Amino acid sequence: MTSTIIMPQLGETVTEGKVLAWFKSVGDEIKEGDNLFEVETDKVTIEVQAVVAGRLSEIRVAPGATAKVGDVVAVVGGDVAAKARVQAESPAAKALLWRSPFEEVSTPTDRFGPSKGPNGVRITPLARRLIAQHGIDAARLAADAERRSVTKVDEAAVRAAIAERPSEPSTAPAVVVPPPTPTPPPAPEGGVISLNAVRQRTGERLTENWRTIPHVFQAIEVDFTRVDRVRGSRKAEFRAAHGISLTFLPFIARAACLALSAYPQVNARFDGKALILSRDVNLGIAVDLGHNGLVVPIVREAGALTAIGLARAIRRQIDKAKAGKLSADDFSGATYSISNNGAFGTAFTVPIINAPQVGILSTDAIRLKPAVVSTPEGDFLAPRMIGIVGQSFDHRAFDGAYSAAFLSRIKLILETRNWDEEFPSEL
Amino acid sequence: MAELTYRDAVARGIAQEMERDERVVFLGEDIGKAGGVFKTTVGLYEKFGPRRVRDTPISEQAILGAAMGAAMTGLRPIAEIMFADFLAVCFDYVANQMSKLRYMSNGQLACPLVIRTGNGGGVRFGAQHSQAVENWTMMIPGVKVVAPSSPMDVIGLMAAAVRDPDPVIFHEHKALYAIKGEVPDGEIVDRLGTAKILRPGHDCTIVALALMVPRALAAAEILQREHGVDAEVIDVRSLVPLDTQTILGSVAKTGRLFTVEENPRLCGWGAEIASIVADEAFWDLDGPIVRITTPHIPLPAADHLEDLALPSASRIVDKVCRVLNG
Repeated sequence: MTSTIIMPQLGETVTEGKVLAWFKSVGDEIKEGDNLFEVETDKVTIEVQAVVAGRLSEIRVAPGATAKVGDVVAVVGGDVAAKARVQAESPAAKALLWRSPFEEVSTPTDRFGPSKGPNGVRITPLARRLIAQHGIDAARLAADAERRSVTKVDEAAVRAAIAERPSEPSTAPAVVVPPPTPTPPPAPEGGVISLNAVRQRTGERLTENWRTIPHVFQAIEVDFTRVDRVRGSRKAEFRAAHGISLTFLPFIARAACLALSAYPQVNARFDGKALILSRDVNLGIAVDLGHNGLVVPIVREAGALTAIGLARAIRRQIDKAKAGKLSADDFSGATYSISNNGAFGTAFTVPIINAPQVGILSTDAIRLKPAVVSTPEGDFLAPRMIGIVGQSFDHRAFDGAYSAAFLSRIKLILETRNWDEEFPSEL
Repeated sequence: MAELTYRDAVARGIAQEMERDERVVFLGEDIGKAGGVFKTTVGLYEKFGPRRVRDTPISEQAILGAAMGAAMTGLRPIAEIMFADFLAVCFDYVANQMSKLRYMSNGQLACPLVIRTGNGGGVRFGAQHSQAVENWTMMIPGVKVVAPSSPMDVIGLMAAAVRDPDPVIFHEHKALYAIKGEVPDGEIVDRLGTAKILRPGHDCTIVALALMVPRALAAAEILQREHGVDAEVIDVRSLVPLDTQTILGSVAKTGRLFTVEENPRLCGWGAEIASIVADEAFWDLDGPIVRITTPHIPLPAADHLEDLALPSASRIVDKVCRVLNG
């Protein structure tokens, strides 16, 4: 009696996953619930548990290889000896796999860092792979090599830098050894910090976005005094009702959603030729993972939520992110994003746009400042809660005036909206 | 074990299959009584008689038309197109007819035939009789394409081609007819779609075909001896099907790829291999993929100009050194 283990559906929009590692070997006895293998999609890394028990008789998708959702990745039960052949992905093993006429060439989906290193030094694809797989510091390697480009010739340095290196690493194509994660070992020269998988991917995307999108940053000063009053008066009851504190972020998010409906070009995707407007607002919220990477989970249909609804939804996504429980669908399909850096007192931050989105809002510290308040009786200096709300936008998608009008609308909403109406009296 | 010329290997390969299977027939211009203009088919007429070894009129269309009809009705013909350049004369049969037959008849008809042809330059035949045209045939869906570089491969791949259920274009290289090689006794049967690593190495991969194979091997020896470069040399042998795994595996080891082709540069077979390797083996590449080809010119008839045009061992050495050490 044999059962097959398939690549699970890792989210509605995910069609394939890359096996990073197997926790069990062929021949191992497995129980339901055992961690079987680790899968990486373009959005998230997940450990997959066994749903059947038995002896693992065959692993069909080796570490580093990608399988479509629903493909058989392993077999439980059956004859072990006969099937223990596909242990590591070798060219020969790859040849055995059936390929459709439309996929005569199997393009690798791995990414191994930028082709230009520090000081513009060129790094060949092979060198980039070795550097990424072994957590080598490219800067030091380049400096050591003192040459125009980093090639496999510098492999000696790569070899020297890691002791557990197999004898001929380059014969095993594209097997990803995940670099050691959170805490790097102490190293000479002030230390080397290997980036974990999340940070590597984030870095690659940021580089690409920064390089390809003509960013323009604009910011507007907002008087949050009225918002702060509502927040102050509702804080205690809100905490009592929902168990969380009421921050400025849901107000800003609410104002952004309202402004997006008036300025739909900001809530859109740019595909190089056209701007595709989105019906819903799927709001990405940047979450810092305790200085160990950044994720941007999504609050779906945020445009339909009140400030309270947003507060709860944002909190839920932040909690999930910090617990590492986000699924692939929590990452896909954002139409606009907010980056919130208020906690450290910064005045403003220029964020990088997450393509294909065309804008990202940033909010920073909101604090009491002396401000001039105009009244019918004259102008007065008064302490007000002032903060800066900024936006990086893709200048290909729209122009500065449009962005400015959008920011100005956010300011208007934050300063003049009757926020009490957002809070039902029975709260 | 016997030493045999590439030329004699052709006759032995055909004879081996004709002896084995009486459906195998052979037709072409001057292939019978004359023993072939390149003397590649000496003795076959005497051995198998005029019914199975037929001299034809000088009409390539007639040869391929007859061969195709024979194949469709149960024989296993081997047809000779004397110079590969002449494939252009009967290209409709190759590109539109025999290659599409199985598909268009939904498998009701098959076309198990072999087109043998004298391919390539280096023997002073001028622009219309010297072209390396393996890339012309490689681009047609529905035919298989082989081009052996040694007497042993000639026999083994000829057997595989004759036994294949679909049309196979068998490119013999005119400049290789005189070379000699050890050939074991008895029946030799090889497999289509398999490349051979003729010289293992670690520093770079040199992929070659037909006449370029001995030149790549010679270059590898010079590279080793004079430049300390340890090159791996692969004989592709079969362009369709293409043994990408051997090539990719080698590039995974060496990180560098050079293709040596006799095709004029544009759309030579090396371009296809370069494309596959750039795609699939991107993360194994430690430098650009480099093609060494005949320039995109009609091949000159003048001796020294023809020699200059075709990739030579010294040109391979120069290029490899410049790219690896530059």
